[in-house]
Amino acid sequence: MSKILMRFTGVGGQGVLLAGEIFAAAKIKAGGHGLKTATYTSQVRGGATVVDIQLDDKEIYYPYANDGEIDFMLSVAQKSYDLFKDGVSKGGTIVVDPNLVHPTDEDRKTWNIHEIPIITIAKEEVGNVITQSVVALAIANTMMKALDKDQLIEVMLSKVPAKVHDVNKKAYELGEKYAKADMA
Amino acid sequence: MATREVISTGNELSAMAAVDAGCKFFGGYPLTPSSEVMHVISDLLPKVGGVAIQMEDEIAGICTVIGAAMSGQRALTATSGPGMSLKAENLGLAQMAEVPLVCVNVMRGGPSTGLPTRVSQGDILQSKNPSHGDYKSITLCAGSLAECYTETVRAFNLADRFMQPVIVLLDETIGHMHGKADLPTQEEVTAGIVPRKSFDGPAEEYFPYECGPTEPAVLNPMFEGYRYHYTGLHHDKNGFPTEEIETCRKLIQRLEDKVAMHEDELESYEEFMMDDAEIMIIAYGSVSLAAKESIRHLRAEGIKAGLFRPITIWPSPAKKIKEYTDKIEKVLVAELNIGQYHSEIQRAAARLDIDGLFKVNGRALSPHEIVSKVKEL
Repeated sequence: MSKILMRFTGVGGQGVLLAGEIFAAAKIKAGGHGLKTATYTSQVRGGATVVDIQLDDKEIYYPYANDGEIDFMLSVAQKSYDLFKDGVSKGGTIVVDPNLVHPTDEDRKTWNIHEIPIITIAKEEVGNVITQSVVALAIANTMMKALDKDQLIEVMLSKVPAKVHDVNKKAYELGEKYAKADMA
Repeated sequence: MATREVISTGNELSAMAAVDAGCKFFGGYPLTPSSEVMHVISDLLPKVGGVAIQMEDEIAGICTVIGAAMSGQRALTATSGPGMSLKAENLGLAQMAEVPLVCVNVMRGGPSTGLPTRVSQGDILQSKNPSHGDYKSITLCAGSLAECYTETVRAFNLADRFMQPVIVLLDETIGHMHGKADLPTQEEVTAGIVPRKSFDGPAEEYFPYECGPTEPAVLNPMFEGYRYHYTGLHHDKNGFPTEEIETCRKLIQRLEDKVAMHEDELESYEEFMMDDAEIMIIAYGSVSLAAKESIRHLRAEGIKAGLFRPITIWPSPAKKIKEYTDKIEKVLVAELNIGQYHSEIQRAAARLDIDGLFKVNGRALSPHEIVSKVKEL
């Protein structure tokens, strides 16, 4: 892997920021360069939020992912999806939560779209909606083959309280399972 | 130089730097996009015997910082543009009374409340003269995560050296981006601290504002046996108000000259691929990151572009700018305002044909936009 550009989008309050921090930190720990940059609106909740994640073997200067060059986008809100989808390169991968985002037929021709009910998985199968960012992390990492799974999980666990380690590990495994099933 | 690797954001690194540089007091009011400076330092300061306090507003915030600094402590406040506007009057007081403090401004869209969560570099001219009257500001601008740390440390050292406020400019992008920074060790930072000058002779011979024409005042900490007056009015050697003609003139001239005559101690800039550059881009803060990437693309196409990045924004590195603009014809200033530093570059270069690429919609300038503009020159 030389360079991977990912974009996570949602609305404020969904916790899409954490996955970006984990990716960046894990890439840096592996000896590369990682950068997470978020942009959000002045609404505390409900405003379109976007997190750009760049993982590279060489030094990263510009902290945002260039529109048109993004390899992977994950979206859990329609308005963020509509605002940011055009940044994804043609043929790039987009993962959406089908309960919240409805891609058009045109979109499906342009990008490789996967529908995974991320929030439902977190809420019902993991049992804690907060873990949606870890489900998303696992999906992104599995589909992009970005980083070593064990290293990524280790960094993820270092960023969440000990009492929720097990539930987050479960979230990761479920995310990976769904991603693999969808790719098959 | 020994370094340590830290993964963090610009705002967090700035707070960390303040504590490592010996700051013992923070007073302020949380303001997007600077709030994390306050969040983090509120956690760190009590662990080192310091105090962080959230005041009722920005004005009270800087007033507590002036008080802490008058008591001999290194003190910090952090805010964004609207907060700078509110703090302006008291930044002027600190200039006049010669109170050393550091003010971090994480720039967002303005004027007024503007674009609270969006990036801008619209406070460049404000940081040159935040309040009325004559004085010479010192303003540093971080262009990387590591510099959010190192420039905050440098700001504290310069504040004590020149006895005046030092402004550290971050912008929303630099303040919030999250990645790796290679920092100097705590031992190195501690070794670099030069405490502010103090007077230890007999109290009756102490005149804090009686100093050389290019030197700052020597303010002993309050409540330690040395009495003097401090005021925003023109004042005499004891700090008492005066309208005596020569005293007034000398005071204001000294506020200018204590900085102007020592610019060599302040000058700081980065040259990126400038050795053989035929086109010079001038950018600072987060725009310099886009500029560096644009230079990668331009060079790959055989276009010899380079970046000159002022780190000390005020006073500007005017001599170095002139040196370059005398030999390089094509010069582009890229910034997130409508030419605030562009006018300073034209002044320093004594040229009116310097090009500009300006953006003021709260969005970053992209490398592609810079590449396109450079090709038009």
